[in-house]
Amino acid sequence: MREEIRNFIAETAFSDPSVIKDDTLIFDEGIFDSMGLLGLINFLESEFNVVTEDTELQEENFGSVERIACFIKKKGAA
Amino acid sequence: MTKNRKPFSKDILHFENIDEVVGNICTQLKEDVFKRFHRYGGVIGISGGIDSSVTLALAVKAFGADKLLGIMLPETDSSPESEQLARDLADKFGVKSIVENVSDALDGFGCYRRRDEAVKRVIPEYDPKVDKMKVVIPKEFVNKNLPPVHFISVTFKDGTEKQVRLPMEEYLQIVAASNFKQRSRMSMLYYYAESLHYCVLGTPNKHEVQQGFFVKNGDSGADVMPISNLYKTQIYQIGEYLGVPEEILSRTPTSDTYSAEQSQEEFFFQMPFKEMDLIWYGYENNYPAIEVATVMNLKTEDVEKVYRNFIRKKHTTEYLRTGPVSDYYAG
Repeated sequence: MREEIRNFIAETAFSDPSVIKDDTLIFDEGIFDSMGLLGLINFLESEFNVVTEDTELQEENFGSVERIACFIKKKGAA
Repeated sequence: MTKNRKPFSKDILHFENIDEVVGNICTQLKEDVFKRFHRYGGVIGISGGIDSSVTLALAVKAFGADKLLGIMLPETDSSPESEQLARDLADKFGVKSIVENVSDALDGFGCYRRRDEAVKRVIPEYDPKVDKMKVVIPKEFVNKNLPPVHFISVTFKDGTEKQVRLPMEEYLQIVAASNFKQRSRMSMLYYYAESLHYCVLGTPNKHEVQQGFFVKNGDSGADVMPISNLYKTQIYQIGEYLGVPEEILSRTPTSDTYSAEQSQEEFFFQMPFKEMDLIWYGYENNYPAIEVATVMNLKTEDVEKVYRNFIRKKHTTEYLRTGPVSDYYAG
């Protein structure tokens, strides 16, 4: 799952997957912007059937590959 | 801390020498329009907002009212108050003004249709004939260390309101369709500028330019931008100094883009402009967040968060400030 997330982020951000570690803060590091976030929400829905509620739009859920993977697990998907 | 730098204070942006500041801007404006570009004067799109009003007042001081044309460019969603304020402004400064309603051009481009199609995909009960819409960033989504998430807000004719988070496709379509407004206005401004052999005087301020709150080749389409290095509080100070009408000085800055009323703070900046000015100044001049936070009675981590948000906005909007890239062949 982490690899899929990493590859999606890298592809969307035109970045090298190897620079995106599990704990890289993708928004703080400037890898992802608001378009990236919207794309990520779509990606979670299409790939993992995870629907993001407004209240779940938190850095704790979306800030890094690790946090996104935890969020998907928490939502009972994967 | 850098040597000889002024300690950070709440009035650090206040001009003590406003005569000199205004004089210098006007001298440069005259130089650029007359001597550099060889144009006879300037056209300005006047909206009744503070930025275009101060630009007009500066230009009157630089060139004289007889070398200026103020153009009001309303469309279907514009507030009628804006047009009246713009007319009053032009009258006060003795500038000839005209109205060019761009609604038909926007209809031709499909601006409203394309926008409303996207809104209806998210809120099917939206009826553009009677309901009002706007794009917002709800307060609870501000400063969360995530990029802003936009919502569509519809106010129905019975006064009830519905807000739904915008998916990417709909968000992009609404923005792209709405941007026809600024681009149509730019086309009309250039029609008059070329007819009179004038320059187009652009009105974006420092925050709009640096944080990317403008439409590329829309309101950024201009020959000179006299206030683009000024903070909003400084623009107000110059406005007061030059005699911009009180009704304009006391008005909340709006986007005047969507059918429902909307402040610029609500749509883009996410904080009051006085606060934003000071934090931006601190950020731009490398004041430590703790020094800014102490003066402004804020938490250091909140100022750090805003600094990070500024860095992010500057980075993600660089595309808007970049002209066409053309160095593909060295020759």
